[in-house]
Amino acid sequence: MNTPPTETSSQFITLLASLMLVVQLLLAVQRMLVTNIRLFALQSLLLAAIATVVACVFGAWHVLVVAVLTLIGKVLFLPWWLERLVRRIKIGQEIHPFVNMPASMLICGALTVLSYVVARPFTSLERLGSNTLAVAIALLLTGFFLMINRRKAITQVLALLTMENGVMLAAIALTTYGMPLVVEIGIFFDVVIAVMVLGILVFRIRESFDSMDVSKLNELKW
Amino acid sequence: MLLTTILCVPLVVGLLCLFVRPRALMEALNIAGFVGVLVLGVKLFHAVLAKNGAAVTEWNEFLRADALSAWMVLLISVVSLATSLYAVRYFRSDLTSGIATARRVREFYVLTPTFATGMLLVVLANNLGVMWAAVEVTALSSVLLVALYNRKTSLEAAWKYVMLGGLGLVLALFGTIFAYAAAISPTGGGAHLPSFNWSHLLAMAPQLNPHLITLAFVFVLVGYGTKAGLAPMHTWLPDAHSEAPSPTSAMLSGVSLKIAVYALLRFHILTTACLGTGYSRNLLLGFGLFSMLLAGPFILTQKNLKRMLAYSSLEHVGLICVAVGMNAPLTVFGALLHMGYHALTKPVLFFTAGNIHQHYHTLDFTRIGGGLVRTMPATALLLGLAAAAVSGLPPFGLFVSELTVLVGGFTSGHVWVSVVILTTLIIVFCGVLDKLAGLLLGPGHAEPPRETISAGHIMAMGWPLGALLLFTAWLPGSVRQLMEQASGIIRGLP
Repeated sequence: MNTPPTETSSQFITLLASLMLVVQLLLAVQRMLVTNIRLFALQSLLLAAIATVVACVFGAWHVLVVAVLTLIGKVLFLPWWLERLVRRIKIGQEIHPFVNMPASMLICGALTVLSYVVARPFTSLERLGSNTLAVAIALLLTGFFLMINRRKAITQVLALLTMENGVMLAAIALTTYGMPLVVEIGIFFDVVIAVMVLGILVFRIRESFDSMDVSKLNELKW
Repeated sequence: MLLTTILCVPLVVGLLCLFVRPRALMEALNIAGFVGVLVLGVKLFHAVLAKNGAAVTEWNEFLRADALSAWMVLLISVVSLATSLYAVRYFRSDLTSGIATARRVREFYVLTPTFATGMLLVVLANNLGVMWAAVEVTALSSVLLVALYNRKTSLEAAWKYVMLGGLGLVLALFGTIFAYAAAISPTGGGAHLPSFNWSHLLAMAPQLNPHLITLAFVFVLVGYGTKAGLAPMHTWLPDAHSEAPSPTSAMLSGVSLKIAVYALLRFHILTTACLGTGYSRNLLLGFGLFSMLLAGPFILTQKNLKRMLAYSSLEHVGLICVAVGMNAPLTVFGALLHMGYHALTKPVLFFTAGNIHQHYHTLDFTRIGGGLVRTMPATALLLGLAAAAVSGLPPFGLFVSELTVLVGGFTSGHVWVSVVILTTLIIVFCGVLDKLAGLLLGPGHAEPPRETISAGHIMAMGWPLGALLLFTAWLPGSVRQLMEQASGIIRGLP
């Protein structure tokens, strides 16, 4: 058994994790596409900060690698790439969700409560912070809701990415040191390539359909 | 170095195809590469048998092949080889008719070996996290293959596939992390990370945290189940299979669905070893039965040939899961046999569907009408034989494997499950034969000119059916031994 995390660092991690959730809720109500991308960058920055705190407190150098990868990949590269894509395909900035703002806020709130209920039996297994697992599940569920609620292909990609942030938070919360380095690097490259593949598809959809509204993708049935 | 070489061959082929110019060279590289993988796969098969129950490992157990992996390697290499042989004529004809551009064809020859490398890594990786990453690689490469034609419908299919697949994979990653956390909690962590190797987790299975493993399996089942096309997460499957170029449909249906089932099986073995109950087994049984029941009505009412074939794949994946779920020696053996026979049959069906699409420019049953035996006799013959095989008629192997599963089910006390399986098999049998009898023999309208196809091309398309007949009549003792070992692994025998 290694030394229990100090009170301060634990509280700090809880604070950062809850900030991630706040950013997620902002994403749910924010209407501008570019702001959405930047909010995702901010959320990833918070994740990188959590990983850095873990790395410093426990002296685990490989978690620092994870933090650096997150910083380069999800805070700098992917947002830059997505913004470039948005500029290149010249789409409108407005997002047009299916459910209006107050209702989606309420739904996200309900989903957060639900995830706290779901995570309750497992709180004893959390090794870092308190309720970080609940936050991770909340990110997963609200990300799922965001995905359903958005029409534009690119905002669905962002929703998928926030879900992935939730999973990475769960990895740190449940295991302290994250996963073995080879797995972390594998996941990192997969996510980056996934977003680029999605970008290619978004670009082609935009060219063929003259729109990015995925509700127009409705020809194939049965 | 055998395992490393198996992974490197298709990877190198894929990279080379990025750079070589002439199309003939790309075709030759793909075929040569997959012949190489097949030869190495057979070598691995003998190496695993020689180990007599132990696994072949490399790189400090990073790569690991037991009987189950070796069996999957054989399936991957056979289907990939069949695909690359058929693709030659398919894409040449697409190029002459202007449906595909040279750039798209290059994309195919680069992405197909990448797809195969990903699948090989799934079955050879010991680390469950690496296995997840490899599944993601297969998903990403196949998404671009589905979108190859850039039609509106193929983009729609690719988008549905990537979104549902992405969602499924995020859930599977969540489950994978839970499985890792289950390994950490008993040891209390400590400064060094415990190994995330499957073999290591299996060895310490009784000490794993049972709550976390229970949760992990649910997430993994939904996650990899999406990729395996289990109902109700199957909605991407008919779209992707029908819109992809036919060689890709063959790979998706012939082997990639089974790779996802393989990933599921690894977690199933782990969960059963940890909990010691039928928890994961019953879940597999339930989802499998639901998939089988759902496939029947959709096949009966289907209007598009490739979509019908996709639903038939759904039914076969369902049968494999049910057979594993029943957990009798005969049913698990039957499941593995079924995987193999299905991998030899389904590609031929998709190849013939590809020929029909290129000849008629549609796959709609009503628009084609019928009379394929008159306009495309060679293709029609192969389609008829393969359809008879896939619906479980003797003398083809799927009859034997389905019978094995049913006998195993009845004798192990799963009477009701077996009755349901039998009923759905009959429904699907009627559906497939009804549709295809009309297509092949029915009266045709506006018949296009007869197709011209050389004997060599017929051979390149139909040889898996020959192999199917051969291995139905004569299953070598060594193959049987390998499958018995693999079914022992699935059933958790030491």
